[in-house]
Amino acid sequence: MLEPLFESDKKEKILLYLYTKGESYPNEIARIFNLYINTVYNQLLKLEKGGVLYSKLKGKVRLFGINPRYPFRKELEALLKKTLRFLSEEEKEKFFKPRLRPRRTGKPF
Amino acid sequence: MKIEDMSIIDFALHVADYLYNNGIEVVLSGGSCVTIYTKNKYISCDLDFVLISHIVPKKIKETLERIGFQEKGKYFKHKKSQYLIDFLSPPLSLGEEPVKEISKIRKGNKVLMLLSPTDCVKDRLAAYYHWNDEQSFDQALMVYKENQVDLGEVERWSLNEGMEDKFKVFKESLPY
Repeated sequence: MLEPLFESDKKEKILLYLYTKGESYPNEIARIFNLYINTVYNQLLKLEKGGVLYSKLKGKVRLFGINPRYPFRKELEALLKKTLRFLSEEEKEKFFKPRLRPRRTGKPF
Repeated sequence: MKIEDMSIIDFALHVADYLYNNGIEVVLSGGSCVTIYTKNKYISCDLDFVLISHIVPKKIKETLERIGFQEKGKYFKHKKSQYLIDFLSPPLSLGEEPVKEISKIRKGNKVLMLLSPTDCVKDRLAAYYHWNDEQSFDQALMVYKENQVDLGEVERWSLNEGMEDKFKVFKESLPY
């Protein structure tokens, strides 16, 4: 939906996912959208370089999120919020409503 | 002066002036401004230069390589200097707002553009506001104590950022 602006549906997916999830890491995003991890990682690095995303290390994992200091954060989030309204319920359920509540170790997903 | 003997101001002047003469305009921000404004009471070896306009990374790399810098991951480093250079994408902003006034340090015929003391305090507070970074909070206090800072402007900006409660904590920590 935002490909004309972002010139990449992958970038759109990544931003939408980070907007709904808050923070994530390259492996998770690649798995959710069935993308190559290098593709995801390169897009994340480009967005970080542009100041759109921040990243931080948590243990051995590098987490990415939308940078609260990005001057157009509110406008970007408004755009992403509106984009979500145009997605089908099926897409929203599948990709953008991640389980946030804890799940005990050992329980099958 | 040899690059290995340069203070952080001399080093920043040297790099910024050279970049300017090669069509790359930058403004110094981040922790190195704290070092400058606190006269080395806080030491940072990272120079964060915000680009005034978009420059192709290849041009920056080629320009800096001509005076002996090498790109190492996200940073540039000169083998004879301890300082690391990073470039941040435009626009030059503090939270939601563009930076309106830029300070200048002149030495000889070289000019370094950097955040003003008031904007340096905002920059550090932004890190405290958004990341709860206590070190940045302390740096904001240090800059405030050593420089003329417009507290009313910092307050206006903080409220605009929606950080009334955290600004109150900052204000209560001020010495006067």
